[in-house]
Amino acid sequence: MNTRRVEAGYLPGLAAAEVQWQALSFERDGERLEVAVPVLSAPQMEALAARVRRASAQHLKTMTVSEIIAVIDRAVGRLLDRDDPYRRRADALLPFVSGYDAEMVRLGLTGLLKTFRAPQLHRFVAEDFPNPKVLDGFQPAAKGGAVRAYGPGLLAHTWAGNVPALALWSLVCGLLVKAGSIGKVPSAEPLFAGWFARLLAEAHPPLADCLAVVWWRGAGGDEADALYAQADAVVAYGGNEALQAIQRRLPVTTRFLAHGHKLGFGVVSAAALDAVNAPAVARRAAWDVMRYDQQGCYSPHMFYVQRGGAVAPREFAGYLAGELANLQRRYPRRALDLEESAALAKWRQSIEWKAAGAGDALLGDPGAAWTVVYADAPQELAPTATQRSIVVAAIGSLDEVAAAVAGRALAGRASFLQTAGVAAAPEELYRLAEQLGAAGVTRISALGAMSVPEAGWHHDGRFNLLDLVRMTEIEQSAEAAAEPYAPYEP
Amino acid sequence: MNYAEPPVADILEFIAQDGCTDEQFDRLALRLFAYQYGANAAYRGFCQRRGATLRTVKTWSDIPPVPIDAFKAMELRCEAPSPAERVFMTSGTTRADTRGRHFHPRLDVYDLSMTRNFARRFMQGAERLPMGILFPDEIAMPNSSLAHYLALAKSGFGAAGSRYFMSPQGIDLDGLWQALEQAERQGEPYALLGASYGFVHVIDAMRRQGRSFRLPPGSRILDTGGYKGQSRELPLDDFYSSLSELLGVPRALCINMYGMTELSTQFYDDGNAVVPSVKSGPHWIRSRLVDPATGRTVPAGERGILAHCDLGNFNSVSTILTEDVGQPAEGGFLLLGRAGGAQAKGCSLAVEEFIRSAAS
Repeated sequence: MNTRRVEAGYLPGLAAAEVQWQALSFERDGERLEVAVPVLSAPQMEALAARVRRASAQHLKTMTVSEIIAVIDRAVGRLLDRDDPYRRRADALLPFVSGYDAEMVRLGLTGLLKTFRAPQLHRFVAEDFPNPKVLDGFQPAAKGGAVRAYGPGLLAHTWAGNVPALALWSLVCGLLVKAGSIGKVPSAEPLFAGWFARLLAEAHPPLADCLAVVWWRGAGGDEADALYAQADAVVAYGGNEALQAIQRRLPVTTRFLAHGHKLGFGVVSAAALDAVNAPAVARRAAWDVMRYDQQGCYSPHMFYVQRGGAVAPREFAGYLAGELANLQRRYPRRALDLEESAALAKWRQSIEWKAAGAGDALLGDPGAAWTVVYADAPQELAPTATQRSIVVAAIGSLDEVAAAVAGRALAGRASFLQTAGVAAAPEELYRLAEQLGAAGVTRISALGAMSVPEAGWHHDGRFNLLDLVRMTEIEQSAEAAAEPYAPYEP
Repeated sequence: MNYAEPPVADILEFIAQDGCTDEQFDRLALRLFAYQYGANAAYRGFCQRRGATLRTVKTWSDIPPVPIDAFKAMELRCEAPSPAERVFMTSGTTRADTRGRHFHPRLDVYDLSMTRNFARRFMQGAERLPMGILFPDEIAMPNSSLAHYLALAKSGFGAAGSRYFMSPQGIDLDGLWQALEQAERQGEPYALLGASYGFVHVIDAMRRQGRSFRLPPGSRILDTGGYKGQSRELPLDDFYSSLSELLGVPRALCINMYGMTELSTQFYDDGNAVVPSVKSGPHWIRSRLVDPATGRTVPAGERGILAHCDLGNFNSVSTILTEDVGQPAEGGFLLLGRAGGAQAKGCSLAVEEFIRSAAS
């Protein structure tokens, strides 16, 4: 078997020979890729954390936000250049490690990177800071006095491996608030974060020591504790159990920003279901299902489709199935391993046995790489098996959706909601948004845009940047009290 | 041919004979398929959606395997319910309200299948042995196929003095120590049978109390079913070496039975000197490894999900799709454990996690 070897991670101040390396193996179509990831000892991690903290105090905290944005923009610009060696590596290796279709990854990566150019980054900052200059120095506060925002000295990240290049979000957030960062890559996608760190160092060499990218097995041991003990803030992606486990290891004073698993859904109003619009809506909906085979937190699991349009919900399910079949030819689903395949089959067959009756239907052959389930009766929001499996549930009125997604157990469910894709008339959109927002939804997008959040979105309804900083205020009293001591005062 | 009646007489005869040819197996498997296809509308629909009809199914491996979840979702049966029928239920480890049910209008097929196979694979020529059973009896657990299985073992193959050591209060350890001591004294082979987790409790108790036994040559152990969260999980190698060390039974005579509520026939290994051991069944059951998505047999040599065609399953469906991962091996298959469902890799919510959170 043909084997390629690459190194992942990014360790300023540590020579490759000083740390241990673990090989992660990926196999596709008779080819093997071995990704070596660095495993640090606790003392090494401690030294690394100190180094990153020191360097960012010296080099990153002294830059203005606009200067930092210019550096990020240069790095992202290179990744958007198809001929750049980093981009070529990403196009070649990210599909290999993730198993996703190469063209799907290429499109997804470009779509993601486009939202990290300078104008978008300025907007990103402005979303959270009406006056972005508070990140650079004290600014007059509306209530009087002055205020300045300080990012963490050291920000730790643990990323999930579901979507390639996921690390970009939190790395950029850290940079924008001038935090030194150490991130832990997931075994499923160990590559992108290290490349981005290197690119930044090339774009602006003083940043070389302000970031590090590491790996540890599972939840990590002493080395993870060493990092957690030093970090001022921790950003983590994963399931609630894993997140809870991290939280338990943090000092109580450490800020913890958790992004847990989410459940997306779509809503299609009868107004969007005329003979002209319905096929296009179905096409856009299918894109959201196809992107990263529904592994994103924003990915839809169900579409609620209103009756009463020229195209009935059952027909819409048929259109959707047709579009998924088309997309399978253009962007085939990744090959499933035995366990994934078993889980998908189990879900599919559970529907099959239940659906034997009523107006329900199961579209797609058992062997097809997608599944559309049509449910004629109201359905509570529930996860599908992903891997392009989607439920279309008929509804009478859009007002039914909020109750269906909130479910019976109102309390627990809201925390699982995030994105809703909506195709509806303007008035309906706002009425629905009120209801969905109250139920816990934090993001409403067009169908087809569910999987490409816009620049500056409030991930999980929180402030990506504001949540990272601490504010220091000079109160009016201090200002007034200082006045008499001025040299020009008599 | 008469497809309206189950071919029970033929099945009994088939089980009673010594071995069969491929052709003989296929003939009865297809006959049973034709009966079940005709008698069970839900199953017929399942087959038709997979393009399997009486015309296209030409050999046992063409019969679409029914996932074991279907035993939970519906009453998978050909004969109408009768007061005399026995119902075996799965233990329902994940959600208490959904237990798979297997309806047996009569037990002669199950019983013949069990005894024929047990005699050969566990008794290995011995007529009767004194038996200790580490599992509740049939009165305590009328819906447990394992309780029935062990009751058959005791009544059909147990010598005088065979008894249960499981009470509602737990394992009667003092009684068990006495029985083991007596077997040691008398020098007669002894058989200890039960669920794997029961043995784990016994191992723990022996270690705690500093006990061990040297059971006489010919003594043997039968464990089954794995641990199912009832006791701490023990790696297979530790499990069998502990049994062997503490009870004096060589690992080659520590036999594991692989059975399922959804089947009427069991698989055995030839001892556990090496783990994982090769499992195999008698001539009236055949297994293949499939891709769960398509139900098609995986390429030779690859891992797959086990599907079994059990001619003893005359009333439910002959062919079931398990959730067990298997790997082909000389003379049978290796059981690699359960396909636990894919772990969610990232932000998209996994079904299992969601169910847990919704239930809490």
